[in-house]
Amino acid sequence: MIKELFSLDKWKYAFYTVSHPMDAYYEIRHRGRGSVPVAIVLVILFSLSFSVNRMSASFVVNDVDPLDVNALTELIAVLLLYLLMCVSNWSITCLMEGEGRLKDIAIAIGYALIPMIVCFNIATLFSQFVSLEEAAFYWIIMALGIAYGLIMMLMGIMVVHNYTLAKTLVTVFLTFIAMFIIIFVVLLFVDLINQVYSFFYSIYQELMYRA
Amino acid sequence: MRRQKWFVTLAASLAAAVAALGTCAGAKELPYDTYTYDYRENVMLTPAAYVPNGRITGQTAGTTDFKEPQDLCVAPDGLVYVADTGNNRIVVLDEDMSQTVRIIDSFERDGEQDSFNAPYGVCVSENEQLYVADSNNKRVVVLTPEGEFVKIIDNPQSEVLEDDFDFVPLKVTVDYADRVYVIARNAFEGILVFENTGDFTGYFGTIDVKITLWEKFWRRLASKEERSKQQLYIPTEFTGIDIDSDGFVYASNLDSDGLQGIRRLNPRGEDVIQKGENQNLGGDLWGSVYGTYSGPSEFTDVVYRGKGIYSLLDRKRGRIFTYDKEGNLLYVFGGLGSQEGTFNTPVAIETVEDQIIVLDAYHGAVLKFAATEYGSLIDKAVGLRYDGDEKQAIGAWEQVLKLNENNELANSGIGKAYLTAGDNAQAMKYLKLGMNRKYYSIAWQRYRNELLTQSIGPVMTVVVAVIAVFVLLAQVRKRKGRGKRKEGLL
Repeated sequence: MIKELFSLDKWKYAFYTVSHPMDAYYEIRHRGRGSVPVAIVLVILFSLSFSVNRMSASFVVNDVDPLDVNALTELIAVLLLYLLMCVSNWSITCLMEGEGRLKDIAIAIGYALIPMIVCFNIATLFSQFVSLEEAAFYWIIMALGIAYGLIMMLMGIMVVHNYTLAKTLVTVFLTFIAMFIIIFVVLLFVDLINQVYSFFYSIYQELMYRA
Repeated sequence: MRRQKWFVTLAASLAAAVAALGTCAGAKELPYDTYTYDYRENVMLTPAAYVPNGRITGQTAGTTDFKEPQDLCVAPDGLVYVADTGNNRIVVLDEDMSQTVRIIDSFERDGEQDSFNAPYGVCVSENEQLYVADSNNKRVVVLTPEGEFVKIIDNPQSEVLEDDFDFVPLKVTVDYADRVYVIARNAFEGILVFENTGDFTGYFGTIDVKITLWEKFWRRLASKEERSKQQLYIPTEFTGIDIDSDGFVYASNLDSDGLQGIRRLNPRGEDVIQKGENQNLGGDLWGSVYGTYSGPSEFTDVVYRGKGIYSLLDRKRGRIFTYDKEGNLLYVFGGLGSQEGTFNTPVAIETVEDQIIVLDAYHGAVLKFAATEYGSLIDKAVGLRYDGDEKQAIGAWEQVLKLNENNELANSGIGKAYLTAGDNAQAMKYLKLGMNRKYYSIAWQRYRNELLTQSIGPVMTVVVAVIAVFVLLAQVRKRKGRGKRKEGLL
């Protein structure tokens, strides 16, 4: 698995996905050209570029309080969101005759972040040179990255599961609902565990006071 | 050994911290905090801008105690008029409010003795006439400052008024042309304006009712009967009124959204106030969510202090908010309480020279506040900028920065000065500290051009040299290639 990280072929293929998403996602699903470790590294890179953009984009275009930026919490949040998206999409598409495996979904979403990584970093760099009048270009770069990333994500899910566009949109919508349900269940579970824990802890305390 | 050393350092720094705290507490001793909101809308504590400077009651001024006084007015000649509502009289105090000059509790009208009934508002015009909002007598009485009867304004007649309109004047002010502006009870349509003849001319500065889409939706669903039981959507009331030297009316109002508690009305009654960076003129941006002191500030009076600066009195938390002409919040101070320098029921605010005076209805006292160095420096700098004298303002801003290096207005002001002086790098530094994005961008643009023009010579030289080398190399290669080809041919 880890070997794949150092395979030039896999990395090249990730970038080939950006230029030929339809073909590449098909090959990822059916010929095993993709790599989950590469996708995860891309997610981490995305999180870092996101934090760097918030932190060090020029004051002219950046309204974020630097004290609010914490790359580590943002990394954890992005990874959790990634996991959540993959799992909920998988659980929905399993029921809707999707052909993609969890692995393929993870790769589809991870690779779709490449345009965002590239554009965020270019925008951050570019922002160092702009004044307010040229700030529109900065926003265009950012928007392009996000738009292309989202389109790639949609294409990825579509091709990997062998869906039509309409069905993809429906599953994406259902995926969001699934995400909310998972979050709800997890919160419920955490709360219950907490109550059980505090119950045993109070028994322990009682015993300690009486002993 | 090493641990011991570390411990000693810790103890020393702790001791230093405690000592520092001690001195801070010693220097402070004020019953309230002074603060402002920074660019990110965080509370930024600042040095005190105004400090309590005495308390005047009826007794200290040499008369009987005030009973629920409701209004204050400073006449052009410096005398202070207090509407002593509960005692049905107007008390005139001298400039420093230590002595009573005279008491007006009755006047002779058409040969008969007449008196006030709960005089609520008082105002002295530029033409030295005393206007008293005689609330329970439903009239505005105009007297000379000595108390001689001039005229009475009452019973406004107009189509715009409802038939059963009950004229109960609460606050009154007069402009340079002797037009009278009256805030009356239950007159939600705005401020009543009277000509100098006493004729009612109409409402002024009506605040539009805001109904959200959601409320409209619910009203559409409700039946007629339900609708009649629902709360009426009425405009917010005006609470206090003042007039500036250009004849523009400053009127405070209650805003349940906490967005705009003050209006500056031009002669046509349109709101022309300038809002600052965050578009807020509603006092506190933050507050507790529950309890008596929760919710937006409730401005009860306004005073125009000259040079575009005006102060608003919040009756909910007893704070005084001061804004400049551009709508920047300069400083907030004051509070409710029972200590000296705090209020119970603040009702009116005025300014005497560089002092701010506030009337507390419950205690029947006038509280004086004097500007500290910090406060007066800010007032001075803002005033100089209002006059267009940016250069002079820099000196004052620099001194402000010495007292509070986080003051964004000061940083921004200094940054602008550097910008006009042509020092773009310094301008960028200060404008960034002042969170002034627009001017920072201008400074950066100029700085960038500067860098470009400076480096264009060397950069172009290098570029030309590189191109020349490439061309040469290409030619050399060409010749070699030709040679090779020849060799090949041979």
